[in-house]
Amino acid sequence: MTDERVSCSTEQRQQVNPETAAELKASDAALMERVMQRDETALEALYDRYAAILSSLLNRILHDAQAAEEILQDIFFQLWRNAQRFDASRGSLPGWLMVIARNRAISRLRQHNPARGEELQENDIRLPFSLESAVIRHELLERVRGALDALPKEQRSAVELAYFEGLTQSEIAKRTGDPLGTVKTRLRTALGSLKRVLQP
Amino acid sequence: MNTHPNQEEDFDLYALGVLEADEKQSIDAHLVGCTKCAQKLLEARGRIALLALAAPSVTPSVATKSRLMKQIRESAERSTEAVGQSKPFGELFSRWWAAILVPVSAALVITSAVLWTENRRLDQQLASLRADVEQQREQSRQAREVADLVTARDTMVVPLAAQPGMPKGAAHVMYNPKMGMLMYEGELDPAPAAKSYQLWVVPELGNPISAGVFNPGNDKSTHFMMKLPEGVAPKAFAVTLEPAGGRPQPTGPKVLMGTVS
Repeated sequence: MTDERVSCSTEQRQQVNPETAAELKASDAALMERVMQRDETALEALYDRYAAILSSLLNRILHDAQAAEEILQDIFFQLWRNAQRFDASRGSLPGWLMVIARNRAISRLRQHNPARGEELQENDIRLPFSLESAVIRHELLERVRGALDALPKEQRSAVELAYFEGLTQSEIAKRTGDPLGTVKTRLRTALGSLKRVLQP
Repeated sequence: MNTHPNQEEDFDLYALGVLEADEKQSIDAHLVGCTKCAQKLLEARGRIALLALAAPSVTPSVATKSRLMKQIRESAERSTEAVGQSKPFGELFSRWWAAILVPVSAALVITSAVLWTENRRLDQQLASLRADVEQQREQSRQAREVADLVTARDTMVVPLAAQPGMPKGAAHVMYNPKMGMLMYEGELDPAPAAKSYQLWVVPELGNPISAGVFNPGNDKSTHFMMKLPEGVAPKAFAVTLEPAGGRPQPTGPKVLMGTVS
């Protein structure tokens, strides 16, 4: 991109610097290749791309900012140390990171501590969308939030208890006081609706 | 092999982790010999993973990234020390000594020279570290702004479509009037010789405002972020082809165009 600019005042301009622009364009697979070659800037780029999503998820599950940041740091540190365990042909990196973050946070809630790196073995997560583009990330955030917002309150609550608290159907029934059959129907109906919205 | 799960949602329930142990075992047993159902479960796991995006936005603190990078550097240093790859301090200067300093000079002169050199090297190292820190701060700030823009619920996305007879391409503008930020992300063929592309904010009232001049490389893609001019309510965004370096007001043809819905 040229350095020449017109019409915007200096204060209005805020060009992403060349290094950052290059990282914004790089694919996850290319950045992971560089991480495997011990390129710290590649890990930083992946952190910049996905840390906000993981931080939001961890805080939603844990309601504890300090614990969320500890886990966030550790996930990326484990990614650095165990980058070779990630196989781009088997799954998508953000899917992998989101599943790890959820598992780690729910384990923390339940006071279960898996061995370090154990959960990194879960690799087969293929997201129906690529999250490499900032625009697509934003659109997908809106789409998922909109899909959950559109569910009837009881269905949404059941999905949230399952996803963000890791409860099974019977645990949800116990928590809400609803019959198990009702909970099962709610979850099944909600997941059917979400599936229709979250198709590519 | 037992029977296929009764309903498609069984795979989503499995992926969500809500099934009881016996229900899960039944599907597990079936999956061993059914690649079709294994594929359906894979798709369901991808869909369920997306639920992470429903969490309210919480941007991590800058300190977390700093701690992470420090931890990585420390671990790298430890592993380097462990394999004994570190060079003795004196080796760093041995060639320099041999080439420049006359042997058998007074010990005081040598010591002074070494100390002076070391002092200079440390000064340069300090200046370089300061520059690195500044650069990292700037990159962190930019990354944080991108993350804030992406995760904010009131961020608007405007697709820009190629205009008839113009070079092929497509782009999006993400903007958030409250944050005063605008991000352009798109793909366009390289501009012809002596020409540049220029992005314009077309406000409800008044003339178009330049939001950046760019020349995509061979990979065609361009990303940049700008401050959205204060008090401007965009009704459209456009990319025009202008003389190299751009113009204060659009003079060339519209290449991409998108209106705010």
